[in-house]
Amino acid sequence: MGSETLPKQFIFNEKMDKDTLYGLYTDDFVYIEEIFATTLQHFDADFGAVQLAYENGNVEDLKRSVHKIKPTFGFMGLLEAQALCKNLEDECVRAASIHDITKGYIHFKNTLLEAKDIIQSEYLRLKAFNANPL
Amino acid sequence: MNLTCIIVEDLQVAADYLNRCCEKSGQLSVKGHFSAVPEALEFLNSNVVDLIFLDVEMPGATGFDLLDQIAYSPKVILTTSKPEYAFDAFEYNVTDFLKKPFTYQRFLDALKKIPQVAADVTENTITETGIDHIFIKSDGKLIRLNNEDILYIESMGDYVKFVTGEKKYITHNTIKNLEEKVSKQSFIKVHRSYIINIDKISNIRENGLFISGKEIPISKAHKQEVLKRLNII
Repeated sequence: MGSETLPKQFIFNEKMDKDTLYGLYTDDFVYIEEIFATTLQHFDADFGAVQLAYENGNVEDLKRSVHKIKPTFGFMGLLEAQALCKNLEDECVRAASIHDITKGYIHFKNTLLEAKDIIQSEYLRLKAFNANPL
Repeated sequence: MNLTCIIVEDLQVAADYLNRCCEKSGQLSVKGHFSAVPEALEFLNSNVVDLIFLDVEMPGATGFDLLDQIAYSPKVILTTSKPEYAFDAFEYNVTDFLKKPFTYQRFLDALKKIPQVAADVTENTITETGIDHIFIKSDGKLIRLNNEDILYIESMGDYVKFVTGEKKYITHNTIKNLEEKVSKQSFIKVHRSYIINIDKISNIRENGLFISGKEIPISKAHKQEVLKRLNII
């Protein structure tokens, strides 16, 4: 027991706020893997509702579905995506029609799709990390 | 004492996280999770619970609609991502308001506002005051360390290092496990890799504190709690 070993830590993608993640889950990487898996299982349905509302031009449904998916990104430490959801939700309150939010929506959609890719890749990395504790 | 509760939340990841917080607290027994108000109401019409964790915006009806329709008054903790509901929360006399995502510590703070839980927490604190030492296994022996002699505890992966003014002891354990076992009166976790003896802090800076010349980081997640525990004039 002589030499000091460095703590085994998982290094999250730089777009994920590690202080948020450690604040929520401490260093329970097995649980973080579970949370990421749950998020991925439900992501397409929740994001699909956003897309559908936008395509139907239904601002009220868009606001509601964005509000629902917003905390997901907080739980993933993806604060930029969370903030974009908040902005779009606010825009929906101000918008007279769907045309008022078209410009912002493209960036929003791309950011959320990128966020899903990040969650997916971090989930796979975590799974490998947790499978090999040494 | 275990209180019964239900979770009314349409976002699965938030419901799972909340369920985990309830289990971890050891104070709550979760009787069900409902992702919409009508299902929750159906359950509440034939079951009595002590507490409801209630999201506000859900499909079909809001959390406030549920509160308008139940026949009795359990304690309610609102969980939402919109601080704008704080005023309504006040009007409905809810116990607390958790903005998603919230930390486990914030969850516990909300629970402590429920009188039955607060009573339990007080009892636990009294029990803890009698513990002024711990025993650790190191070098094949059980070694007694008095709380007042420990400066800090540092994570080393699957091991932790207990640092006293005289000596360092390495033992097989984790910070997470020790967080539950050391006296909460004397010690506080300031970072995922450090638990410190609060009486040994010599000074604090923006993102770190000093104990016996050693700089120890304070994470954002723990900073507020650390500042709360200090006797700042």
